[in-house]
Amino acid sequence: MKKWMKISLAIVAVAIISSLAVYKFYINKPHKDIEHATPDFTLNSMKLYKEYTANKKHSDSLYNGKVIELSGKVDKIEVTDSMVIAVFVFSKGDFGDEGIRCTMLPKFNEDAKKIMPGTTVNVKGACSGFNDSDVILEKCSLIKD
Amino acid sequence: MKKLFFLAMLIMLASANLFAQKYITKNGKVSFYSDGEIEKIQATNDQVSAAIDTSTGDFVVKILVKSFEFEKALMQEHFNDDYMESDKYPNSTFKGKITNLSDVNFSKDGTYNANIQGSLTIHGVTKSVTEKGTLQIKDGKIIGTSKFDVTLSDYNVKIPSVVSKNIAKTVQINVAFSMGAVKS
Repeated sequence: MKKWMKISLAIVAVAIISSLAVYKFYINKPHKDIEHATPDFTLNSMKLYKEYTANKKHSDSLYNGKVIELSGKVDKIEVTDSMVIAVFVFSKGDFGDEGIRCTMLPKFNEDAKKIMPGTTVNVKGACSGFNDSDVILEKCSLIKD
Repeated sequence: MKKLFFLAMLIMLASANLFAQKYITKNGKVSFYSDGEIEKIQATNDQVSAAIDTSTGDFVVKILVKSFEFEKALMQEHFNDDYMESDKYPNSTFKGKITNLSDVNFSKDGTYNANIQGSLTIHGVTKSVTEKGTLQIKDGKIIGTSKFDVTLSDYNVKIPSVVSKNIAKTVQINVAFSMGAVKS
């Protein structure tokens, strides 16, 4: 094989491999694995809610988009058509009970349904902010001690 | 006479309570669809709070931008970081009223057309909007749905020219709220 052919073949191979890599690791990269992520913050549920209601802007700058592990007493478990939500209630307002709402990852739905109100749990999830009624945590998992 | 007065008061209070009722959801669904020249993009948010006051027609919707879920993580990242700047503008809201309240009989099952007027805040920009929707009254619940268009430039959402063919200039928004009564 001529030298120029070898070189162009190598260039083509590198181009194919790198574009596949770009596709897999950049364009098609997976969503963040919240369940196995190390929490950016570990705190008490009441503390998170109080901080958000006292200063939303500052709390957003700290917590919004971050992985948070919460501990606290669950007040109720809500079950919708497709979701199970662990709710920490701290207040009552225009939107009924207000507090922190943790939407479970589907694989934790059955375990979450068994939580009795008043039980202290550790929940890890991604915080998507405060809508002036509730702090929302998503993709939550139950942490067993 | 006194008894009668009390009875009348009681009935009035009871009926006022019956009509002055609030219906809410905290897991309403809002999705949008962008039909770009190159690709179609869809995202859904099922963590939307909405409340309707059937006596005044007041209607409030609260959305957290980061709760929109995309099929591709990269799209979600661009949506949050580049277009919606969700760190800077984490909330989107709608505050308004149903303007044809007299056409809706909240105590009778059925599907009613609703005209909605109010202010929509996206990306820190508030615009007044008038949209149409339907209210379905069924088994003590109110299911509100609407479909409308949002032009991104109205809300100062900038799409870089490199990807201008990937993202539609006007996106279609679909909302579905199944609201239950709150006892006050």
